[in-house]
Amino acid sequence: MSHLHIPDGVLPVWLWLAGWALTAALVWLASRKLTTTDARRSVPLIGVVSALVLVAMSSEIVPLAYHINLTVLAGVLLGPWAGVISAFIVVLALALLGHGGITVVGLNALVIATEMALGWALVRGGARVIRRAKLGRVAAAATVLTLALTTTMVVGIVALGGTAAMSRETGALDPETLQFNNPFTGGVLSIGLLAGGEHADAADAAGETAGSAGAADAEPTLAVGRFAAVVYTLGPLGWLLEALVTGAIVGYIGRVRPSLLFGGADWRPRLPGDEHGRR
Amino acid sequence: MDITVVDRSATLGDSLLHRAAPASKLAASGLIVATVVVTSDPLIMASVAFALVGASAMLRLPLRSMLPLALYPAIFAFIFAFAAANGPVTTALIVLKAVTAALAMVMLVFTTPYPQVFAAVQRVTPVIVGDALLLTYRSLFILAEKFSDLSRAVRLRAGVSARQPLRSARATTRALGGLLLYAFDLSQRDYDILRLRGYDGGLRVSPQRSSAPGVDAAAIGFGLAALMLAIVFRALPLPGYSWIPGLAGALALGAGLIIGRNHTTKQRGAR
Amino acid sequence: MTNPSHNHVRCLNAGAEEIVRISCVRHTYEDGTMVHLCGLDFVAHRGERVAVLGPNGSGKTTMLFHVLGLMRPEEGSVSVFGVRPADEWPRIRRWVGVVLQNVDEQLLAPTVFDDVAFSPRQYGLPEPEAASKAHAALEMLDIAHLATRVPHNLSGGEKRKVALAGALAMEPELLVLDEPFEGLDPVSRTSLLDLLGRLSAERGMTTILSTHDIDTVPEFADYAYVLAPGGRIAVSGTPEEIFSSADVLARGNIKPPVLAELFARLRDRDASAPSPALSVPEAVEAILKWRGAGD
Repeated sequence: MSHLHIPDGVLPVWLWLAGWALTAALVWLASRKLTTTDARRSVPLIGVVSALVLVAMSSEIVPLAYHINLTVLAGVLLGPWAGVISAFIVVLALALLGHGGITVVGLNALVIATEMALGWALVRGGARVIRRAKLGRVAAAATVLTLALTTTMVVGIVALGGTAAMSRETGALDPETLQFNNPFTGGVLSIGLLAGGEHADAADAAGETAGSAGAADAEPTLAVGRFAAVVYTLGPLGWLLEALVTGAIVGYIGRVRPSLLFGGADWRPRLPGDEHGRR
Repeated sequence: MDITVVDRSATLGDSLLHRAAPASKLAASGLIVATVVVTSDPLIMASVAFALVGASAMLRLPLRSMLPLALYPAIFAFIFAFAAANGPVTTALIVLKAVTAALAMVMLVFTTPYPQVFAAVQRVTPVIVGDALLLTYRSLFILAEKFSDLSRAVRLRAGVSARQPLRSARATTRALGGLLLYAFDLSQRDYDILRLRGYDGGLRVSPQRSSAPGVDAAAIGFGLAALMLAIVFRALPLPGYSWIPGLAGALALGAGLIIGRNHTTKQRGAR
Repeated sequence: MTNPSHNHVRCLNAGAEEIVRISCVRHTYEDGTMVHLCGLDFVAHRGERVAVLGPNGSGKTTMLFHVLGLMRPEEGSVSVFGVRPADEWPRIRRWVGVVLQNVDEQLLAPTVFDDVAFSPRQYGLPEPEAASKAHAALEMLDIAHLATRVPHNLSGGEKRKVALAGALAMEPELLVLDEPFEGLDPVSRTSLLDLLGRLSAERGMTTILSTHDIDTVPEFADYAYVLAPGGRIAVSGTPEEIFSSADVLARGNIKPPVLAELFARLRDRDASAPSPALSVPEAVEAILKWRGAGD
C-alpha cells in the first residue's frame, strides 16, 4: 500500500483540502452507484473486506514489522466503486490510530482507491488473457505494477506540495538564523493562515528578515528528487513482498473458489422483493 | 497495531476522559490537528505534545500502549524530512507534527469507542458509508479472532516458529487465504442477517452522553488554547519567546507523570 | 405415530392455524451435497413448540433456512403464514424472529441496546417506541444491565441472550431458533425454556427450534420431528411417543434423553417397570408408585 506517510501540517492546506474534496465527491458518486444494487449486499461486503485489510495490516508477515496490506486483493473482490468506499474507511480507521495524518485522509484515500481500482482492472483483465492456472502470477505482476504506479502517484502528490510548510516565505523557521519569518508581510489577508506553497517576493523576504544571510538564496524546494530516490529504493522490497503474498492468496482462491474472483459481488441469486433493499 | 487493545481501552476504561462526550473529544482533537497544521515552531509543537502526554499520564490512560502508536509515524516523518532535505530543526518540526497529531488521535480512540467516533462521520456521509463503517468495526473483531485461530492452527501444523521467517511468512499467508474465504462467507451470512432483521439502511448508534461536563470544557479549552498559541507565534515576530510554552509543556508533562504515579501508588496502597 | 388421533397435543391444535408447512423440499449445495426434506410434511401450528432433531448433516439448518426464505426449494413447497418465504419474505418478516447458530455473526450493532433496537428502528418505529420495545426485550431476558456493553466483549451465553432479545423485540408470532441452548449454562437454559413456554402460552407464539440437546426436548417441545442423514424426515410425534418407543428411536437413530433411557433399561430388567416419564417430578412419582406396588 502506498500509504502517504506524511504528517499533518506539512503539505499545503490547498492540497490536502483538495484531496478531501475529491475524495468526498468520489465517495458520494460511489454510494450513488452502489445504491442501485442491494445495499444489503454491498454494505457487508465492503465492511468485511475493509476489516480484512485492517486485520492484514496488523499482522506481521515477516517478524520485522513489515505488514501486508491486501489492497490489490480487496480491489479484486470489491470492484472500483465499492473500493472507493472501502479505501475511505480503511484510511480513516488508520488515521484514527495515528497511522497517517487525519488531514491527508483525502489524499490517502485517493491513492488507496486507485490501488484497488487498478488492481481490479489488471487482475481481471489479466485473468481473461492468461490461463486461470497462472492466476497467482497475474495477480503478483498486477500488484507490482499497481504499487509502482501508486507510489509514483504519491511522489507526484508530494511534488505538487512544492515548498509548502518548509517555505521560508510562509513563516517557517530559518534553520541558519533560527528565526521565523513573518508570513503577514503583505498584510493579514494576503497569505494568512492558509499559506502554503505560495512564494513571497524573495526581495521582500530579504528586506524583512534582518541578518538573514540565507534569505537571498533561492527559496527552499522540497527535494522531490531525493524523496523519490528514497521511496523508490525502499518501495520495491514492499512491492515484492506484497506481490508474493497477493499472488499466493489469489492463486489459492483461484483453485478453491474461482467464483470469488470471477463472479463479482453477485454471489447469490436475487430473490424477489430484494430490489434496492426495499421491503 | 492491535486494534483490539485500543477497543478494550475505549470500551472498558473509566478515566475522566472516558466520561466526556465524544463530540467534545472530537472537537478537541480537531483543534489539536489545526494547531499542528498552523504551527511552524518546533518548540510550540513540543509543548503541545508534552502537555498531551502529561494529561494522559495524569488521567492514567494506558500510555504503554498509546505511545508506540503515537510514535510510529515519527519513523515515516523522519524519512520524509530526510528525503525532503531540510535541516535538523525543520526535521524536528516535521517529526513533532506527526507525533502530536498522532497523540491527539490516539487519545481520542483510546477513550472513545469507535462507533461513537463513526457516528459523527455517519452524520456527514452517505448512508452506505456510515453503515459500512460500523460493519467494518464489528467484522474486525470476528476476523481478528478467526485469523488468530487460523494462524495458530497453521503454525502448529506446520511446526513453525518466529525464528523461521520464510516458513512463518508462508504460514501467515496460508492463514490469510483461509481468512479471506471465511470473510467472504461472512459477508454472505451478513446479507442473510440483514435481510432477516429487516435492514433498510441506517445502522444507528445511540449517542453517548457526557457524565463529566467539566472535562468536556477542559478538553475543548485546551484545544483552543493550543491553537491560539500556534496562531500567535506564527503571526507575531516572537521567535525568541517560544521557549516559554516549550518549558510550560515540559512542566505539564512532569506534573502529569507525578500526579498519575501518585494516584496509582495511592490506589495500590488502598488495596 | 403421525396419525393426529394418537397425538393429544396435536388434537388440541387440530383447529389451530397452520403457520409453517414444508413438503418434500430438495436443496443442493454448491459442493453437490443434496438435502431432501421428505418422508413426512413438517408442520407447525400457531402456539406450538416444535423441535427438530437429527445428527450433524441431517438438514436441520437447511430446513430452518427454507422457513426463513434464505433458500429457495428446488422441488417441493414451503409455506410460512400462507406465503412462499423465498418469494415474499418482506411481507412476513415483521412477524418472524430468528436466532441463528452463530450469534457472533448475528449481532450487528455497536452496543447491546442498539442491536436489540435494530429491528424496531429498521421498521421505522419512532425512537421512543423502538427504545421501549428494546428495553422490554432486555428485561424479558434479564440482561438490561448489559445495554451499554459492546457485543464482542460479552461471553457466548450473554451474546445468545442478546440475539434472542433482538429477535423478540418486535414481538414476533413465529420464533425460529437454531441450536439456541449452545453455550448456555444449565440455569440459563432452564430460564430460556421457561421463557419460551410462557411466550407460547401467553402470546400464542409459535416456536421452531433445532437442537442436539435431547434432554431439553421433553421440557420444551409439544411436537418433534427427527431428521435422518440426507434430510429424510424419519419420525414425528410428541416427545413421549418418540422417546418411549425403541423402534422409533432406532428409526430416527437418536439417543433418548437420560430419563427415557433409564426407564427403558428398567423395563428391560423388569417388565413391570413403569412407562417412561420424561420429567424428573413425573419420574419420581412413577418410581415411587412402582416401588410401592412392589412392596
